[in-house]
Order: sequence, then C-alpha cells, then structure tokens
Amino acid sequence: MFCTQCGANNADTAAVCVQCGRNLQAATPAVPLQATGVVLPPGVTVQNYLVFAILATVFCCLPAGIPAIVYAAQVNGKLQAGDLAGAQAASNNAKMWCLISLGLGLGIIVLYVILIMVGVLSGIHRH
Amino acid sequence: MLTISKNRLQALTLAAFAGAAVMLRVFDPATSGIFPPCPVHYLTGWYCPGCGSLRAIHQLLHGNLRVAWAMNPLTVVLLPFLAYGLASFSLFEIRGRGLPQPFLRAVWIRALCAAIILFGIARNLPLHPFDLLAPGMMLHL
Repeated sequence: MFCTQCGANNADTAAVCVQCGRNLQAATPAVPLQATGVVLPPGVTVQNYLVFAILATVFCCLPAGIPAIVYAAQVNGKLQAGDLAGAQAASNNAKMWCLISLGLGLGIIVLYVILIMVGVLSGIHRH
Repeated sequence: MLTISKNRLQALTLAAFAGAAVMLRVFDPATSGIFPPCPVHYLTGWYCPGCGSLRAIHQLLHGNLRVAWAMNPLTVVLLPFLAYGLASFSLFEIRGRGLPQPFLRAVWIRALCAAIILFGIARNLPLHPFDLLAPGMMLHL
C-alpha cells in the first residue's frame, strides 16, 4: 500500500510507513480509492517534482526538462483520478527526467570549464 | 543507513542552491564570464525560455526589479512560486510535512508547460512587441 502522507510504497501488512513513519493502519481512508474523479482523501501526497522539473527546464536542459513537467502533470492528474499507483509511477518518471536534465546540464558546464582551461593554457603557452 | 545518505544528499542539494545564490549575488553573469552560456543559445543562436534568468536573479539579488524583469520576465514571475515550492519540499524531507499547498490540478501544470514553450518561441520572433521579451530588450525602451 502507499503511505497516505508521503506516498512511499509499503508492504500491505506494514504498520507504519518505512519512509515517514506514519501509522498506516489508522491512515486507511474511509472511502476506498476509485477512479471516480475529484475525491482525493485529505493528506494524500505523491511528490510530483514540479519545482525541480521547472528548474531543470529553465536552467539545465530544455529538451529533457519538458518530459519532467509532463510527468509532474501526470502525477497530479492521476492523483485526482484516485490512481495512486499510476501517480507513483509518474512521480518516478518525473524524478528520472529531472536527473537526466541535471546530468546533461552539469555535463555541459564541466565541458565548458574544461574548454576555458584549455583556452587559458594555450593562451599562456602562446605568450 | 539509507536515511543518512538521503539526508546528506538533501543537505548537499540545499547547500548547492545557497552556494549558487551567493555566486549570483557576487558575480554578474552579464559581465563576469564565469557562468557558462546557455547551451541552446550558444549552439542555435535562439533564446530559450531560461535565457537571461541568471542575469535576472543577479539583478533581483541587488534589488533591481526593473532590470531583472527586462532580462527574463518569466523567471521573475516564477521565482516566488519556485522558492515556496523548494521550501515546502525541504520541509517535507526534513519533518515529513511540507508547507500548506493547494492541490495543483494537472491542467494548470500543462498550461504552465505551454506557457514556458510559448514564451520561448515568442522571444525569438523578430516582431514588435515580441522582440521585447528577448533578454535585456526592455531596457532600451
């Protein structure tokens, strides 16, 4: 089952959440989750990484940041429909694309620094 | 063990953000040359939606809202939300509960995604008034 507080995936028999320690037995929502629409039990959150997706899009790598935002939207769309497992899967995808974007961005920065060093060194050599 | 390394990773992330803020306050990306150029602009000559955002944040950290707005209005609009979201995320990781957050519907996130892309296209159009969206153009008004 998924923790109603942090969304971590726990064993169905777990008494408390492995990630945040919330009491899972007491936290079972009174109304069973169904794909019926807007009914979202209070306190249910699955991290959508939207902030990082936007940061990744604007600062790191636009092409890899866009799928991160799309998956962030899927997290909230699926939560809205009561699909916790789907939301969790989209959450993992959003995180993955954020990391891909971050990796590409950092890679470009490292490459840039190396190029500058090479430029500076060759400049020194010439004089 | 897992929680320790996770906490350390989060501490590193926050330290990276703090370090970036200090760097951006001290050095002006417009003149210092220590910040890498936008790879999209460097390779294609087009402005991406984030072009000018570092210059905008530098100006904001010095209180120059007008110059920051001219550099990248999207960044100026989004920054308060990003800061709130980042604070909420940090608190969520630290104490298991974030700041109060209205559930953001998927349609709003899609609209935001579309807005970022359209902003990126608009600021490259050689038509007035869209050309004002290119970094720094509004300073010449």
